[in-house]
Parts: sequence; structure tokens; C-alpha cells
Amino acid sequence: MPASFEQDITLAGDLHARPAGALAVAAGRFASAVSVTAGSNTADAKSVLGVMSLGATTGQHVTVTAAGPDAQEAVAALIAILSEATKVGG
Amino acid sequence: MSTATVGIVLVSHSAELAEGAANLAAQVSGGTVTIIAAGGTDDGDLGTSAAKVERGLSLADSGAGVVVLPDLGSAVLTVRAVLEDHSNSNNVLLADAPFVEGAVAATVTAAAGGDVKAVAAAAEEARHARKL
Repeated sequence: MPASFEQDITLAGDLHARPAGALAVAAGRFASAVSVTAGSNTADAKSVLGVMSLGATTGQHVTVTAAGPDAQEAVAALIAILSEATKVGG
Repeated sequence: MSTATVGIVLVSHSAELAEGAANLAAQVSGGTVTIIAAGGTDDGDLGTSAAKVERGLSLADSGAGVVVLPDLGSAVLTVRAVLEDHSNSNNVLLADAPFVEGAVAATVTAAAGGDVKAVAAAAEEARHARKL
């Protein structure tokens, strides 16, 4: 069974187009299935349009979940991007 | 990444629309993908140009292939005419997708290392992405 990991982060800024793009580009490089959940909405992290449609805003709790051979690395990478990218907005 | 990424050609009836969509897609995807705007006629009017599309295909192809997005249906006629004569058209896919969303989704997938089929599929899936 492939491992599954998840981690939460509180957004320092809104999840606008550029951070959503950075997130989806990074997620697309992993073999694992990766999703982002904000409130009651979940999106495929590899879909930039899906991530944007979450409408995740400053202060919101977001959960990154990954399942697959590189799930742990994927979660760590995406949490790092969310941590950095939402500081600058855009 | 060391391998070539898929290039994107945005074919619009408007030069400004093609340029704007290219700029937006580049910003969202981090600027690592070659995106060529092929908008307007050779005279700068509204319309499409076979010469611009042909040049775009050449400029966008770095070895991994090219995905072409037309803005409106009649741009498809121009693209198809060019592809009939293009030397490497088997490495080119024409995506049936909404222009702005498709450009952004395709470019992000290209930046992540997706192949031409994955990039074209990302553009076409944009049809189902809801904004609200």
C-alpha cells in the first residue's frame, strides 16, 4: 500500500493565481496523488484552476494530502510553497 | 529540470489578447515555459495569420513538442492549414479549450514536465473548471 500523508497550514495570504501556479507546478512533479483542502472544498493540487477555485484566503486552514510513493516529499514541498508563496500574494 | 518542456502557441484574432494571455500564463507558471503569442493578422488587424502561427510553432518547439490553443473556432482553420504543411506536425497537438483557462492550465502542466498529451489534456479539462 502506498503511504499517505497530510499536513495543515494556516495561510499567510490569499491563494491567488501565482501561488496557485507555483503549487500546481510543484505538485505535478510528484508521482503521488496530491490534493488541497480548504474548508469544505478539495482540489487536485496538480490542477491550477482547481486550486484557484478553492478561493482560499488569509488565515484559512488548508490541508495538503498526498498518497503514493513520494507522498511525504510531496506534502513537505507543497507546505513549503504555501508557506512562502502566500506571503507575497499576487 | 534538464529535459525540454512542451511549448505553447496561443493563436488569437487579437494580438493584444494573445500577448496578454501569454503574459498571464507565464506569470502563473513561473516563467519556465516557452509561450508564443500568435495574434492578429500580418498587418496588425484583427484576424489570424498563417505566417505567425508557423513562426510560433518553430519558436515554441524545443524538442518536447507544442500545444496550440486557438481563441475562437475560425482560428482553427488557420492552424489546421499550417499544420498540413508543417514539417513536424505529429509533435503538435491542437487543444479544444477555453483560451485563458486553457493557456494557464496547459502552461502549468508543461512547467511540471508533462508531455504533449498531458499538456493538451490539461487545457481541455479547463472546460470543466468552475470559477465559483
